[in-house]
Amino acid sequence: MTNNGTSAAATNIVIEARDVQKTYDTGSVKVYALRGVSLQVPRGEMLAIMGPSGCGKTTLLNSLSGLDDFDSGMVLIEGNDLSRMPDDRKTEFRAKDMGFVFQTYNLLPVLTSVENIELPLIVSGTKPKLAREQALASLERVGLLDKAGQRPSQLSGGQRQRVTVARALVNKPAIVWADEPTGALDSTTATEIMDLIVDLNSTAHQTCVIVTHDPKVAARCHRTIHMADGLIVRENSQAEMVAVAAGR
Amino acid sequence: MNELFGLSMTYIAIGCVAVTLAILLFVGFIAVRNPVMFKMGLRNIPRRKAQTALIVVGLMLSTLIMSAAFGTGDTLTSSVTSEVYTILGRADEVISWDTGKEPKPVNEQTIPLATVDMLRNQFPNDPDIQAFVPFLSEELSLQDQRTKLNEASPRIVAFRTDDAKALGGLRDTRGNEVSLAGNEIAVNEKLAEAIDAQVGDKLLTFYQGASTEFTVKAIVPNTLLGGTFSTGDREGAAVDYSVLASLTGKTDRADGIFVSNRGGVKSGMDRSDAAKAKLEQALSGTPYKVETFKQDGIRLAELVGNAFTTIFIVFGLFSISAGVLLIFLIFVMLAAERKPEMGMARAVGAKRRQLVESFLAEGMGYDLGAAVVGLVAGMGVTLAMIQIIKSAAGDNLGLNLSVTFTPRSMIVAFCLGVMATFLVIFISSWRASRLNITSAIRDLPETKPINPEAATWMGYFRAALNGMVVLALPVGLTLFLLGSVGMLLGLPLVLMGLVSPWVYLLRGSNVALPRELRLAEDPPKWPWILGLALPVIGWVLILPWYFLALLLVVIVRDRKPAGMASWMPPAGIIVPPFGFVLVLLQHARTRIAWSAGVAFAFGVAGGVLTFTGLDRDSSFFFFLGVSLLFLWVAVTLRYFGRNERASFTATSALLLVLWYLPSKVYEPIFGELNGDIEMFFLSGMVMVTCGVFIIVYNADIVLPLIARLGSRFGRILPALKTGVAYPLTARFRTGMTMIMIGLIMFSLVMMATLNTNFAQVFLNDDVKGGFDDVLQVNDNNRIDNISDAIAKSGTDTSPIRATAELRVAYPFEAEVENKDKKKKDGEVPAFSRYTIFGADQGFFQATTLPMKFRATGYETDRAVWDALANDGKLAVIPASLIAPQNGFGGGSQDLLELNPVKDKFATFTLKLRDPGAGTSSTVTVIGVMKESGDTFFSLGDPNGAGTGGLVTSKQTLLDTYPDSRGQRFYLALKPGTDGKAYAKQLESGLVQASADSLQKLLDDQQALQSGFLLVFQGFMGLGLIVGIAALAVVASRAVVERRQQIGMLRAIGYQRGMVALSFLFESGFIALSGILLGLTLGLSLAWVLFTQGEIGTESEGATFVVPWLNLAVICAIAFGASMIMTYLPARSASRVPVAEALRYE
Repeated sequence: MTNNGTSAAATNIVIEARDVQKTYDTGSVKVYALRGVSLQVPRGEMLAIMGPSGCGKTTLLNSLSGLDDFDSGMVLIEGNDLSRMPDDRKTEFRAKDMGFVFQTYNLLPVLTSVENIELPLIVSGTKPKLAREQALASLERVGLLDKAGQRPSQLSGGQRQRVTVARALVNKPAIVWADEPTGALDSTTATEIMDLIVDLNSTAHQTCVIVTHDPKVAARCHRTIHMADGLIVRENSQAEMVAVAAGR
Repeated sequence: MNELFGLSMTYIAIGCVAVTLAILLFVGFIAVRNPVMFKMGLRNIPRRKAQTALIVVGLMLSTLIMSAAFGTGDTLTSSVTSEVYTILGRADEVISWDTGKEPKPVNEQTIPLATVDMLRNQFPNDPDIQAFVPFLSEELSLQDQRTKLNEASPRIVAFRTDDAKALGGLRDTRGNEVSLAGNEIAVNEKLAEAIDAQVGDKLLTFYQGASTEFTVKAIVPNTLLGGTFSTGDREGAAVDYSVLASLTGKTDRADGIFVSNRGGVKSGMDRSDAAKAKLEQALSGTPYKVETFKQDGIRLAELVGNAFTTIFIVFGLFSISAGVLLIFLIFVMLAAERKPEMGMARAVGAKRRQLVESFLAEGMGYDLGAAVVGLVAGMGVTLAMIQIIKSAAGDNLGLNLSVTFTPRSMIVAFCLGVMATFLVIFISSWRASRLNITSAIRDLPETKPINPEAATWMGYFRAALNGMVVLALPVGLTLFLLGSVGMLLGLPLVLMGLVSPWVYLLRGSNVALPRELRLAEDPPKWPWILGLALPVIGWVLILPWYFLALLLVVIVRDRKPAGMASWMPPAGIIVPPFGFVLVLLQHARTRIAWSAGVAFAFGVAGGVLTFTGLDRDSSFFFFLGVSLLFLWVAVTLRYFGRNERASFTATSALLLVLWYLPSKVYEPIFGELNGDIEMFFLSGMVMVTCGVFIIVYNADIVLPLIARLGSRFGRILPALKTGVAYPLTARFRTGMTMIMIGLIMFSLVMMATLNTNFAQVFLNDDVKGGFDDVLQVNDNNRIDNISDAIAKSGTDTSPIRATAELRVAYPFEAEVENKDKKKKDGEVPAFSRYTIFGADQGFFQATTLPMKFRATGYETDRAVWDALANDGKLAVIPASLIAPQNGFGGGSQDLLELNPVKDKFATFTLKLRDPGAGTSSTVTVIGVMKESGDTFFSLGDPNGAGTGGLVTSKQTLLDTYPDSRGQRFYLALKPGTDGKAYAKQLESGLVQASADSLQKLLDDQQALQSGFLLVFQGFMGLGLIVGIAALAVVASRAVVERRQQIGMLRAIGYQRGMVALSFLFESGFIALSGILLGLTLGLSLAWVLFTQGEIGTESEGATFVVPWLNLAVICAIAFGASMIMTYLPARSASRVPVAEALRYE
């Protein structure tokens, strides 16, 4: 349901967070993961979220993508208020409009590469034959068509992450969420993966939100926000991050 | 019960307690030596309460099944034993006429009272014999004049008052002494209940046409003195000795003499053998025999109890095996769950042994708890089973069952449960401890270093060498005990086998490493401590062999060659001691393909067993051996990199074909092979395992088709896709769970199907033989004309359509020529005992009893019966007479047996002879009745002739057996008549006959059979809990293991329901595969066995029926319960918080 949709549409903002707060209650200790984060991401932007461990990066990504609930505030995705969506609707929304890339790949070990990729399509109701065609096309885009019948255990780390990227993009989602997509990869493979994401972003104009520790990854994004103690404390442009990554 | 599988329960109990104590000592030793690891293990128990509860349920089942089996055995033994003691009291032996020595008519088989005096004079102060008690016994019809209720054949006994004192004297139910004089009668409780008699009632008795009135003086217990001689023969009464003597014309004579030994009711029995020997000596030359009837009764009680325990344990073996698999599965899962913790423990310095110890500590926590719970639950199951038996059997059981548990049996059940669980925990802990530290810490799949010898002959020989050495003890024992291939080879293998475990233990420690790798580490000390702590077992089985192993290791450790010449390993396999030396010299780090090695050793054992099976004509050894050989082939092919799917599928399929082969196919090749109830278990184990191999190796071909089918239902396709993908990647746990469910289903289906089919053969409507009611007439009060007698009794005869008379000569008074020269007690008697029926024209005309085989020239069953009606010298025989007398219990030692015949057989003659009168005649056999004929003749037979008899004409019977006393009438009633009600009318009118509706008797038999089936099915169904628990364990584990994947699925759009559905599909696939596998194999094997006559000739020519409803209920319960148990894990999977799951490691 559209809420405040007019303003979002008018400014072409795809993701908007307003004063989002999230607290983890571990019984004896309360951890304030998000202390009131507000953020806007326009369509087609690649946004990096950086910060030290425990600052709330992943929590913010999970809250924005609907993977996790938040305590207060508002998250609008293409004008739809996530906090008001029931779980089923949120799930459907994720299946159709979002793609995910995780550090640990999270591929199903029992399925082949192509089966892993076609899964989101099947979930969102695409005919199996069409889903297979699209999955193969997606696999081709990431350069792994020859690995279609192999299971994740038969692939290298970089190849697995490519499959993850292919899966994230197969249903042509409006937003791709990536949590440390290169965290488990060596620098060469990490560069390859980022090349792929950047390329896909520029050709398909999808919005990407990437959580990372790596300034080199952030340098590939249009904008970088820095978090500390559950708050956005700083924002850098791509040029500034390129400088940081180069050690200047 | 005192014995199990032929072993004394006392010895079994001592052995079990000793081993259990050893286990507890061992665990205690771990606790003292390594308290940290011990606590680490124990503290895992309360970590996940639901999981702990599930584990305890899984572990308790072995104990439960054993305690239920023992409890049932104890109950039956103690119930029968206590009945025997109560009924027989102080009487220990009985002296009676021996018709084998001197045949005589029953009425003349008496002993003069002078013989009693002679015996008393001969044994005045004998240390074994205390008293001789002569008695009279006769079956008299009687009627209570007040209630008008009658009893056709109660046993009326008489003892002289002074004599009876030696047996405690006749006493009423309150314990007051009763003395009988004149026409006074003391009625026992069972008879009083039957005719509703009270003290003071007048009872009219009938003996050979004369009636005498007695007055009831007392109601007495059902004991010897009150006319009850056995548990199946209860209605009785006692009268004055002189009165019964004059009534039956047995003045100064006795029907028998009870002998009471010195000592009490129980202890007197110990002198039975001595007393019998003395009495036989004293009575030599007389026509009397001495029977130790109390001892025999107690032995029978033991036999019944042991038989039931054995049956329940054999049937329970399926559940126990499934339980063992479950324990293994649980601990493999636990180990998988704890992998990172174990990896960390190893990283910080814990040794493999310590991990095993920690696991053992935890396992023993569950084990002891589960054994206690299992014991109590098993007692509960016993109570339930006995209750079902009681309610199903009713009066047919003839026994008052009271649930009893002897401490000895319960201790054995508890200890066996603890031992079985400990063993499995030990093996699974050892397996779990062999982990790669890095992979374990990061929870990655185990990776194996590359083995340069993999799939090479050198590697194979090395594996075979090690396999033979590590399994030398069982293989050597097999050779040694079976002795068929060569004890010379068996003995060195046994000796090697005793040393080899210690060698392998030392190989894993630094003490066995070459000098450059050796650190200052001592060999393990615990074998010394354990050996000393366990006198006998330790000194025989541990200390000498550990010492020897240590010595050998120390001698050879610095002589390890860099490599082994290629001829050495094969040579080592051929010469076992050389193989042992080679293993000792082998570098400790050399990789061994254990599966190939163990399979090789099994293959060797399989070869020996196959040979032994052929040598001893044993199906069990032969099929076990062949199955092991097939396993060896499959594993070997896999080792050499041959297509695993093809090797396992082909060998499993071939093995299945072998198991399905009817004996007539393989007997021409392998000769005759004999098997018994154990084949039931073996067939189930092997066939289900083969079936599971075929499924798990080939399901990936079928499942995509199912998934494609599922694509028609778009919403479930994603769930179906993941639901079927997972089970096939975890083949081990999927296969194990399928085997568990398949095994139980196989046993349930086999039992239900065979039972139904045999019931169909024995308990169908044919057994009524064209009649509705049967009247059993008192031997002393025969009826000449049944129609007149019924009319005279005032009962309406209009419902009667036809009457038939059968005269009966029982085995104790009739003999038939031993035509086929069957041996009895090592001799071939000229004649054997058998039941002969003499039927009148009415019987031949009205009966519809079907024939199994007819002689040439007789086209229809009717033609056979008509021929009998026209020619009095013709006869038909029952199917049981030509059935081989083997199987459970074997045949009777005395009764006639004939060789099998086929349809259109040539008629043959049989000579009938009365051993008493010496008269004889010859009859020509023209037909063999179906099995329903046996049931027809045994229904309502008070003499308990369990099978049928030869049927000829009444005239031939009376000519041959003039003194035969049995008489029966069958009535065919007009349509619409209530046979049951009419039988009651008949019985109340005819004092000298008991009447029953054949339909009621058939219904009672069917109810009894269904009741026992229910008990067995319920008992075996307990195993289903194992299979279902396994599914729940697998599903719960899967939720934990796949948390992150579940999170990802939810992230990409799986709805909660879809995740739950995926888990349900997964469990459903396993459950359904196991259920369908058990159903298919059980049903098909039952079909082969039944239609091919593999389990008795009874099934020949019978139509195979499938109890679909029963099977559907079994399958529905199994599947429904599986789904219910998986629902909880599936639901918890669907509720996994997405973001948290994605972070989960």
